[in-house]
Amino acid sequence: MQIIESSKVKEKLYIEKLENGLTVMFIPKKGIQKKYVIWGTNYGSNDSKFIVPGEQKETEVPKGVAHFLEHKMFEQENGTNSLDTLTSLGVDANAYTTNDHTAYLFECTENFYPALDELMDYVQHPYFTDENVEKEKGIIGQEIMMYDDYPEWKVYLNTLEAMYHEHPVKLDITGTIETISNIDKNILYKCYNTFYNPSNMVMVICGDFEPEKILEEIKKRLIDKKSNGEIKRIYPNEPDTIVKGKVEQNMDVSQPLFTIGIKDKNTDEKEIVKKHIAIEIILDALLGKSSKLYKELYDKGMIFSVPSLDYEFSKGYAHILITGQSTEPEKIYEEFKKAVSDMKQNGINLDTINRIKKSIYGAYVKEYNDPADIARMFLADSFKGINSFDYLEEIVVVNEEYIEQVFKDVFNENKMVLSVIKKA
Amino acid sequence: MQYIEKQIKKGIKLHLIKTEKFKTNLIAVFLTLPMARKEVTKNALISAVLRRGCKNIPTSTQISQELEEMYGASFDNGIDKIGDNHVLKFYLESINDNYLPEKNGKMLEISIEKLLEIIFEPLIEDGKFKEEYVQQEKENIKRIIAGKADNKASYAYDRCIEEMYKNKPYGLYKYGYTEDLEKITAKELYDYYLQLISKCKIDIIISGNINDEVIKIVQENENIKKLEDREPQFIKSSLEDKAEVKEKEIIEEMDVTQGKIVIGMDLHLKNKEQKYIALVYNAILGGSANSKLFQEVREKASLAYTAGSIYIRYKSNVFIKCGIEIKNYSQAIDIIKKQLEDMKKGDFSEEELQNIKKGIISTIKSIDDEQDTEVTYFFGQELSIQKITIDEYIKKIENVTKEQIIEVANTVTINTIYFLRNFRKED
Repeated sequence: MQIIESSKVKEKLYIEKLENGLTVMFIPKKGIQKKYVIWGTNYGSNDSKFIVPGEQKETEVPKGVAHFLEHKMFEQENGTNSLDTLTSLGVDANAYTTNDHTAYLFECTENFYPALDELMDYVQHPYFTDENVEKEKGIIGQEIMMYDDYPEWKVYLNTLEAMYHEHPVKLDITGTIETISNIDKNILYKCYNTFYNPSNMVMVICGDFEPEKILEEIKKRLIDKKSNGEIKRIYPNEPDTIVKGKVEQNMDVSQPLFTIGIKDKNTDEKEIVKKHIAIEIILDALLGKSSKLYKELYDKGMIFSVPSLDYEFSKGYAHILITGQSTEPEKIYEEFKKAVSDMKQNGINLDTINRIKKSIYGAYVKEYNDPADIARMFLADSFKGINSFDYLEEIVVVNEEYIEQVFKDVFNENKMVLSVIKKA
Repeated sequence: MQYIEKQIKKGIKLHLIKTEKFKTNLIAVFLTLPMARKEVTKNALISAVLRRGCKNIPTSTQISQELEEMYGASFDNGIDKIGDNHVLKFYLESINDNYLPEKNGKMLEISIEKLLEIIFEPLIEDGKFKEEYVQQEKENIKRIIAGKADNKASYAYDRCIEEMYKNKPYGLYKYGYTEDLEKITAKELYDYYLQLISKCKIDIIISGNINDEVIKIVQENENIKKLEDREPQFIKSSLEDKAEVKEKEIIEEMDVTQGKIVIGMDLHLKNKEQKYIALVYNAILGGSANSKLFQEVREKASLAYTAGSIYIRYKSNVFIKCGIEIKNYSQAIDIIKKQLEDMKKGDFSEEELQNIKKGIISTIKSIDDEQDTEVTYFFGQELSIQKITIDEYIKKIENVTKEQIIEVANTVTINTIYFLRNFRKED
């Protein structure tokens, strides 16, 4: 196993790519009772158009299949449900779907190996029937309706719709009641066989184990399956431009919710960590808790807590999201744009950069407290081609010139959108 | 992990949780007092005003900058309702010196000092809190109160509690009341604050890779020295005599797509041992993916995406919560009531019981793998009539039997059914 060590957080990463293509990562945590394992496939809601390895023609499936598959994986041929089986073992099991990956996980203090048996068994043995697929449509339908009532979710989706012309990131991960009605067991099997191949999957384990032993335990639970070669994913050509500058929806909220989105271009894997850090620093300098703009907006009673500041990216898209609540979202937007242009003129204060760098460094260190956070972080980053330790190294070296450069490249008014949810 | 308690002064206790599991040190200060209508709003306002600045760091911008310099130490504060107590909570989390690029060995000491400054050395102008901060924070709390209904699920839960505990401390809203806010002046608030810190229960909990020197640091802190002995009037969780009430149904309408059901239930427990049995009862009823509610309402009837229950041990209540399609309301209620009946009859296998217990025990065992959970656990013990260690806690769960659960199940009565639905079309 290859070993990568971070002297900063005093943690080690063991990594091995098995013959069948599966990548296994392991982060030992001595003295911690909690054990966490997460098994993910590089397959999310964005992957609805692709070429199955060995085939020539494109396959296109309804939106929401990745998430639907996640729900259906638990059902077993013998009538049991793996989520129940895992829960019976006293472990805390779950699964989730994002834009670029789907993951199955459990956390436990006891019964790790019996639970690993079950996890690796159900992820490798799908069982879909016409009947069980139909039943799931009711449950997922309720999930979709639940999200319909979440203004936080709506303000987010509307932002993406305002930024993206074509890219599927703009669509709801769950699909819609309409799209999921077209899902059947054949579609599920086709997507399963394509994307749940070991070569498209990564498993991350964190806990108090011996590295070689845990690797052996995983190997002996793998069924015989060959690596199936590269899956070609087809994403539409996404123009650099935004769709519309503003989008507004009425919902029953006491205070308007807003998201400012800034559309960015795709960045090379080699540079993405550095760029991500630079953007975090810029966002904190502009609108973080210690910023001038935040204080002004707070003192004017326009904003009541620090907006969440995020940079999201994966294959074929990248964007910044600034989300908060305000009495006057339009004014916040104007003030934000003004702060950007002021900062472009005056440059970013070096003391501010250094102070924020320290702060972000500490935040990265804190990520290493909990096995669950660690494993999830390594998994999600790996599907983006990132080794999570790199953040701790890059933050030390990222410099003022680079930050200024990113600032000029990314923070442009013609790439910004404002999404607002307010009462009718 | 090693846990040590040290009485600093009467009513002021220091708790040390020595652990090497984390890269951070977490300091928590809890100010506890009984919930009272005339005080809740003031408490909420004090909590908000204190975070704006203190004597030595007078603005929140400066506080934030200092924290950033401390490698992103995070300060957080808020208020909570725990049983019939109102708790003002203050936290500061900072990186342990071992993981800092430049070590000076003082990070913990500075962190303790800053946190205590924010709480006990506020910014005072002309013998009162800074007027501007008080006015702004009044507005903010008004907004929080007005925003209660934004999250429909938590709103439905709050409303159910309000209905169950009308005119009782536990029915009070932790952020207080808009009509009370108006009247509070900066002077009054400061006078009340002085009274509060002189009579409330104070717990200081410090977790991390620390040693006994911390005791000295706390004892010799100027702000701690200023505090006097007190006879704190907090309320320990006990068994309440619950009157039998007639089941009531409350239906409210709002602009929602999904309906929210919250059912508040009373547990008429005989002794404190039954509190642990009730915990297992709740886990079987609605506390996990294997639970009756999840299986029957979500999986079998496909009626809901969320279906579960929570147990409030401080008040001996179980609350069932479901998000359902509105037209399925009566069907859902029928299925839920059937589950309550099945629990009374003991319609669960010995195997299911053992499995559920394993799940609970696993959660208990991981308490000391999570820094904030561990802090919360020890503070919860402080407010309980019976203090137990994590090992004793596990034993108690292990010893729960099916017969005991049936006995508890038969004490359960529905107090209030609350349903939040969409507007009914008018004819």
